[in-house]
Amino acid sequence: MSRVSEGSTIHAVNYSIAKTKKKLEDLQLQGSNLKRVQKPSDDPIGNMEILSIRSKKIDGNQYLRNASVAKAQLSFTENAIEDLTEIMVKAKELAIGQSSNIFDVSIRRSVAKEVGQIYNQAIGIGNRRLGNKYIFAGHKTLTKPFDENGNYKGDEKQTKIEIGKDVFIPITFNGKDIFFEKTNSTMTAKSPLENSPFENLEDTLKLNNKENEESFIENLPEDQNEKDMFNRRPANQKAESLPEFARTTIFSDLKRLENALLTDNHEVIQELLPKLDKSINRLIEVRTTIGSSINKIDNAIMNVEKEEIINEGYKSRIEDADVAELFTDLTRQKNVLNATYKASAQMMNNNLMNFIN
Amino acid sequence: MSVDLFSIGRSSLRTSKKSLATTSHNIANANTEGYSRQNVVAETNIPIQEGKNVHGSGVNVKSIKRVHDKLVEKKLNHSISSNGFHKGRTDYLSNIEEIFNEINSDGMNKILNRFFNSFRELSNQPENEVVRTLVRDNANIVTSDFKRIAREITNVKERIDAGIGAIVDDANSLGQNISSLNKEITRLENMGGETGDLRDQRDSAVRKLSEFFKINTYEDEKGQYVVNIAGAGSLVAGGSLNRLKLGKVGGDEVGSYMDESRAEIFFEAGGAKAPISKGVTSGQLAALVKTRNTELTELRGNLDEMAHGLVHITNAIHRRGYINKKIPLDQNGNAISDPRYGKITGINFFKEPLELKEASRSIELSDEVKEDLNNIATALKPNSPGDNRIAIAISKVQHEKVLGEGSKTFEESYLQSVGKIGLATSKSKVNSEQSKGILAQAKSIKERISGVSIDEEATNMVKYQQSYQASAKMIRAADEMFDSVLTMMR
Repeated sequence: MSRVSEGSTIHAVNYSIAKTKKKLEDLQLQGSNLKRVQKPSDDPIGNMEILSIRSKKIDGNQYLRNASVAKAQLSFTENAIEDLTEIMVKAKELAIGQSSNIFDVSIRRSVAKEVGQIYNQAIGIGNRRLGNKYIFAGHKTLTKPFDENGNYKGDEKQTKIEIGKDVFIPITFNGKDIFFEKTNSTMTAKSPLENSPFENLEDTLKLNNKENEESFIENLPEDQNEKDMFNRRPANQKAESLPEFARTTIFSDLKRLENALLTDNHEVIQELLPKLDKSINRLIEVRTTIGSSINKIDNAIMNVEKEEIINEGYKSRIEDADVAELFTDLTRQKNVLNATYKASAQMMNNNLMNFIN
Repeated sequence: MSVDLFSIGRSSLRTSKKSLATTSHNIANANTEGYSRQNVVAETNIPIQEGKNVHGSGVNVKSIKRVHDKLVEKKLNHSISSNGFHKGRTDYLSNIEEIFNEINSDGMNKILNRFFNSFRELSNQPENEVVRTLVRDNANIVTSDFKRIAREITNVKERIDAGIGAIVDDANSLGQNISSLNKEITRLENMGGETGDLRDQRDSAVRKLSEFFKINTYEDEKGQYVVNIAGAGSLVAGGSLNRLKLGKVGGDEVGSYMDESRAEIFFEAGGAKAPISKGVTSGQLAALVKTRNTELTELRGNLDEMAHGLVHITNAIHRRGYINKKIPLDQNGNAISDPRYGKITGINFFKEPLELKEASRSIELSDEVKEDLNNIATALKPNSPGDNRIAIAISKVQHEKVLGEGSKTFEESYLQSVGKIGLATSKSKVNSEQSKGILAQAKSIKERISGVSIDEEATNMVKYQQSYQASAKMIRAADEMFDSVLTMMR
C-alpha cells in the first residue's frame, strides 16, 4: 500500500482541478466566438488553409468588382455602337433614296444637311466618354480621339482587365476598330502582358538576390515587340489591306456622301452604298463580340461565386466549432469539475485529528 | 535495581518526548515546500550484565532521520528541468504565435493580399487618382506591418535575453546558497549534529536550479557535494562556487539574421570563450536559447526575404512604367524628360537600396511615390493614361512563385512561416502537457515517500503520548517502590 501524505493529496487535487479547468477554459473560449481554431497552434495546417481561403475570397471579391467594371464599360460601349449603327442605317437609307440620277435639288440639299448632321453625330459618338475617359481612344483615354475632320488621335491599344485568375477581358475598343475599314482586329482575350516585357512573369521574376535582380533587369526583353504592335499587320493581310492613309473611315464615307449629295454625283453615292453596308456589318460584328464578352463575364462571375461558396463551406468545416458537440463537451466538463471539487473537499477536510480528543 | 528503573523510565520519557517533538515538527512542516518528514530512530541501550543475568537498560535516541530517496529526488529534478524546457518553449512560442495570429484580426497575409488587389483595382481605372491613393495607403500598411512584425520579433528576442540575464542572477545566488549550506552541513556533521533540515534546504535549492538547467549532483571522493550542470560543468563543488557570468555575443555564429548582439552565459572562470548554452539541452535556459536561435531567427530571415523580394520585384516592374502625366515626345516618338516632373520613368515604388538583413525593418515607399501619386506608374508607354499593364503585372506577382528560388509565392512563403510556428507551438504544448503530467507524478511519488501525513502523525502522537504516560507511571511505580523500602527502614 503506498503512502498518502498531505503533499501528495494536495498535488493530486491541484493537478486534477487545473487540468479540468484548462479544458473548460478552452471550451469556453470556443463557445464565445464559436470558432474551433483560435490561434495557429490549435490547428497549424487548418490555420494555413483558412488564411489561404480568406485570400481567395478577397481575390474573388476584387475579380467581381473588376467584372462589374468591365460589364459597365462594355454595356456603355455597346450602347454607343448601337447608336452608331442606327445612324449608319439611317445614312444608308438616305443614300439609297438618293442613289438614282433622278432627284429634286432642294430635297438633295436637305438630305445633304441631314448627312452632315449624321457626320457630326458620328464624331460625337467617337468622342463619347464614360466618366472622364474617352472610350474609343485606345490607351490615350484622356485625349479626345477624333477631331472634327475625323482624324484619329488615339492609339491602337486595348485595355484589358482581369476578371478571374488569369482570365482577361478587353474592355475598350480603339477608334480604328470601330470607325476604320477593317484590317486586323486587335481584339483578343489574351493576357494584356503578352508582347510586353512581363510576358513570362514567372520565369523572369525568380529573384533571390541583388545579382539576379540586376541580370533580370538587363535581360528584360527590349520593348521591340511593343513597337511592332503599332505597325504590325499579319503577313497574309498585308496585300489586301490598304495603306493607312487610304483606309476609308465612317467619317470619310459620310463626308463623301455629303459632298456627293451637294455636287449631285450619283455615281459616288452608288459607290458608297457597299461601303456603308460594310461598316454596318462591321459594327454588328463588334456588337456580337461585346455580347459574347458580356456572356464571358457573367460566366466568370458565376465561377467566382461558385468557388466562393465551396471555399466558404470548406473554411467553415475547418474553422467553426461544432456547436452541438461543443456544448455537450462544455456541460460534461462542468460536471467533471463539480465532481472534482466535491471529491477534493471530501478528501481534504478529513483527517484523524478530527476524531482524537 | 530501582535506580535502573528510574533510568530506564527516564530514557523512555526522553525518547517519547523527543519522538513527540519530532511528530510536532513534522506536523508544523506538513505544508513546507520541500520538507521531508523525520523519524526518530530509537535503539535499545546497551544491556547491563548482573551476575548471570543480562538486563535491558532502556531506550536511546540514536538519530533523527529524514525520509528521503535519492533516486526519486533525481527523477523529480530531471522532470523539473524537462518541464522547465517545455514550459519555457510553450510560453515564448505562444507569444510569437500571437504575432502571426490573424484568425480574429487583420494580419500580414490579408494586408499583402489587399496590396496586390489594390493594383488590380488600379488596373480597372488607371486614370483615377483616388485609386492611386488606395494603392499608396495599402502599400503603407504593408510597410508598417513588416515593421510591426520585425519589431515584435525583436521584442521577444530582447525578452529572451533579459530572461537569460535573470537566470544568471538566480543561478548564482542559488549556487551561493548551496555552497554555504555545504559548508554548514559538513561542520554540523563533523560535530555529530542533525542536518536533515539543512539537507532539505539544499535539495530545494537544487530543485530550483533544475528549472534552469538539467542538474546532476553527487558526492566526490573527498565527500564534497558537487552540483553539475549537465552539458556544461560544475557550478558548485563543496564550499566553492563557480560563478556564471552574462556576456554578449555577436550574431554571426548562430543567428545569422539577428545581427544584434545576443545574451549568452559563461563560466566566469572559463572566460568568454564558450557559452554554456551550447551543451545545455534541458531546462529553461535551453528553451530560451533554442527559441531565439531557431524560430525567431528563421522567422526574421523569412520576413526579410519577403520584404526584400517584394521591394525588388515591385520595383523591377514599376521602373518600366511611365508617370501618369503628359510627357513631351521627340520626333521619333521617344519620351523626353521634362524639367517640371523630374523622372518620367525608371521610378522605384519602394525605396532602394535595401539590405536583405534590414529589409523588414526599413522597408519604405520611395520618395517619388510619397511625394506625388502620379508617380505611381501604370502605363508601359508614355502618355497612355488608359494603359494598365504595369498595374496588372504587379498584381500578377501575387500568384507567381517568386520567392525561395522560384518555389513559393508571397502568400505561400508567409503561410509556411505561420504554419511552422503553429506546428512548433502545438508540438511544444503537447510536450508541455505531457511533462507537466510527468512532473506531477514525480512530485507525488516524492510526496508519498517524504511528505507528512497528518493521519500518520496523529497515530504517532497518540502512540508517543501513551508511551510517555506509561513511562511516567513506571517512574511513579519505582518511586512508590522506593518509598516502601524507605518506610520499612523507619
